[in-house]
Amino acid sequence: MAMAMGTGAGFMNVMKSVDQLVRSNGVSLVAKAPSSFFFMPQKRKGLGYWQLYCCSSNSHSNNSCYITLKDEELMRQCEMTSFKASGPGGQHRNKRESAVRLKHLPTGIVAQAVEDRSQHMNRASALARLRTLIALKVRNPVSLDSYSPPSELLQILPRSSTLRTSDSGPQIGPNNPKFALGMQALLDLIFAVEGSVSDAAKLLGMSTGALSRLILSDDSLWKAVNELRASKGMKPLK
Amino acid sequence: MLKLRLSGLSCGVCGNFRIPMPIPRSYSNSASSIALSSIDVKPKVPLYLRPPSFSASVSELAKWHKWAKNLASSVGSTFVNLDNGPDSTLLRRELNWLLQDLIELQHHSKILPRLESGNNENLDVSVALRAPLEEMYCVWRQRIEERRPFQYVVGCEHWRDLVLSVQEGVLIPRPETEMIIDLVEDVALNNAPELAQGVWADLGTGSGAIAIATARALRSHADGDARGRVIATDLSPVAVAVATSNVQRHGLEGVVEVRKGSWFEPLNDVQGELAGVLSNPPYIPSGDMSGLQAEVGQHEPIIALDGGTSGTNDLLHLIDGVASMLKPGGFFAFETNGEKQCRFLVDYIQNEKAGRFGDINIVSDFAGIQRFVMGFHR
Repeated sequence: MAMAMGTGAGFMNVMKSVDQLVRSNGVSLVAKAPSSFFFMPQKRKGLGYWQLYCCSSNSHSNNSCYITLKDEELMRQCEMTSFKASGPGGQHRNKRESAVRLKHLPTGIVAQAVEDRSQHMNRASALARLRTLIALKVRNPVSLDSYSPPSELLQILPRSSTLRTSDSGPQIGPNNPKFALGMQALLDLIFAVEGSVSDAAKLLGMSTGALSRLILSDDSLWKAVNELRASKGMKPLK
Repeated sequence: MLKLRLSGLSCGVCGNFRIPMPIPRSYSNSASSIALSSIDVKPKVPLYLRPPSFSASVSELAKWHKWAKNLASSVGSTFVNLDNGPDSTLLRRELNWLLQDLIELQHHSKILPRLESGNNENLDVSVALRAPLEEMYCVWRQRIEERRPFQYVVGCEHWRDLVLSVQEGVLIPRPETEMIIDLVEDVALNNAPELAQGVWADLGTGSGAIAIATARALRSHADGDARGRVIATDLSPVAVAVATSNVQRHGLEGVVEVRKGSWFEPLNDVQGELAGVLSNPPYIPSGDMSGLQAEVGQHEPIIALDGGTSGTNDLLHLIDGVASMLKPGGFFAFETNGEKQCRFLVDYIQNEKAGRFGDINIVSDFAGIQRFVMGFHR
């Protein structure tokens, strides 16, 4: 119950900050978050694993919509701050504190980058990191009755998957920026089958062992799957 | 006492290394033959663009790195307490950037982790460097003991997606100023796309940062063959030389023209025709100059920082002049010291320049400080 309350409070905070931003910003550099994005807190098996649904009135984009947004569209949904705002800044200061912290207002997910040498490049790094975090945390509904994996998911599957075709191209690994999209679709499926790797493997035309190896190949994906399994009272993958 | 003597010595040694850079002569010759002959200032070549014609063994490099890291760590929070300067964490990050500029990119992944881990294998393997290791001892001492800005040490600043040459005599472009280009793109070019074909001006251009990034923004918003261009002005011969070389290095010779002179003075031929006027003029109140962080107050050009008693001398001059320079519908954006100056300037525009500008706005920087005043000429 406490978790469900917490989720509700988070929702309020996010909406409040969107409202504040819209009202306090005289210049329309930060746009209003579209009302078609909404939260749906879910309680399952007594554990407060919450789910973020993401919908869009756009007819051609069905799921995984945040991370398919262009950089500037995603950026518009974010509040950007630097870590330290001490002193007058500008010409007064030479500290190369070009750290960037992005808060994605519709979901409350925060990503940051400090290691690059310009504000601009840190913003790009933070945005890439935000895409990965969204892939890991935002779940889209999947219909299991007529399931066929989307192309971005097929791209990250090994050759052993019987659903792969010649159009799927070579397998994409975690270092490829497109991996996040496939990872999100995979997590959506595993979420829909209540955390069962063997059920997910069947729907992907591959063996349970092969899917486990894919999950274990990326630490953040592995961790996300195990968090999801833990929320459903299942043992972690090792 | 010992510290002082060492730093004095390092200056002498550095003097030997700083002036006769043996290899990049060809580079500076080619630059000087184009536009600098009349100016007599040779821009320095940033470390990362020098040829890797020096070398050191891994163990020698590791020894320098360990020394430099210890020197950075010894600072602790001394500078923070003194004048809000850099702490050890920031200095060690700068040390990593210095290494990145010193060593060729293709060797980064091999060499840099080894220095961190203290791996003792193959210590006598030789590493190609863009400057002699002795010079690295010198410049890192200058960084810590003289508070010489890191950007002058490496000769460049990463700003937006550009890497700009900077040197003593030229203001180091600040991260806050990166946002002026977002205003050009998001406010001016998106609302009035025809401005992308016009002539823009960056007044007091310094390194040329705003002018170069604006030229690239105009190009990416260009429609068909009609191309906008930028005129950058600066009073300082060093700034004119450095901005000219930055323009050349970014292949924008035909798009950005650097003119020597104060503010609007070199722009008589485009009076009333400009599509946009941008500037990051000096805006620090004179009374604040003595309390500045040592990197800024003791090393950067005062002429680029000191904005007079209230800091608004040059900003007022710009606002007085900009109405007659802009064409109807033209855009302006100026950087300021903060909320107080922003409000003062907006009041000034609304009272003294009533009816001449529209859509006047104050925009905050990424740290939430009201930083820019912008608007359109009616």
